[in-house]
Amino acid sequence: MTDFSDAMQVASSGMKAQANRLRHVSENIANADTPGYRRKTVGFENVVNAGQATGEVRTGNVRLDQSALTRIYDPSHPLADDSGSYDGSNVSLLIEIADAREAQRSYEANLKMFDQVRQMSSSLSDLLRK
Amino acid sequence: MDVNALVAQSYAASRSATLPEQSGATQTLFSAAESFAATLQKSEATAMQSMTSGADPHALVTALAQTELAVQTAVTVRDRVVEAYQEILRMPV
Repeated sequence: MTDFSDAMQVASSGMKAQANRLRHVSENIANADTPGYRRKTVGFENVVNAGQATGEVRTGNVRLDQSALTRIYDPSHPLADDSGSYDGSNVSLLIEIADAREAQRSYEANLKMFDQVRQMSSSLSDLLRK
Repeated sequence: MDVNALVAQSYAASRSATLPEQSGATQTLFSAAESFAATLQKSEATAMQSMTSGADPHALVTALAQTELAVQTAVTVRDRVVEAYQEILRMPV
């Protein structure tokens, strides 16, 4: 049983990581119009327990995208400088949507694995019943 | 008189054959039952936590799926044991 429950744990950790990634994507989209906002990215890393990799995954530290902020021309804006423009965010909606879709696909893959493990384990005990 | 003593003696000898045996198999069964109870308890705690303090839904689903499998296995094994026992009882003596 332990291989089955380990596989379940790993699939569940993958789903958790993708959900966390989606959280940061929605944070970026929500702040797309916030002046001076830098988009947040999270990396994935192995979970290491007592010096040994468990095979599970988790999201690492949040990093800020250091690419240039967009300059928005709007002289009436309170933040506008002498040239009449201010720093917007460096969020690109296209990238965020693509990232969200990728998170969804990976989540579905993990969900499929979870279901697969459950079905395999259940059919193994079905064998005993006959 | 002689026959009575013989009967009593063989009865005493055959009684020991039906005594429960203390072996490694009993210990294994005990530990299996304990891990089964631990799985149930863990999933109950997770379910309660997710209802009261909104814990991670993934942990809840994992715990419930593991409990489902554990219960399924326990029920199947129990059915097999009972079936084997009934098979022995049906034996023509």
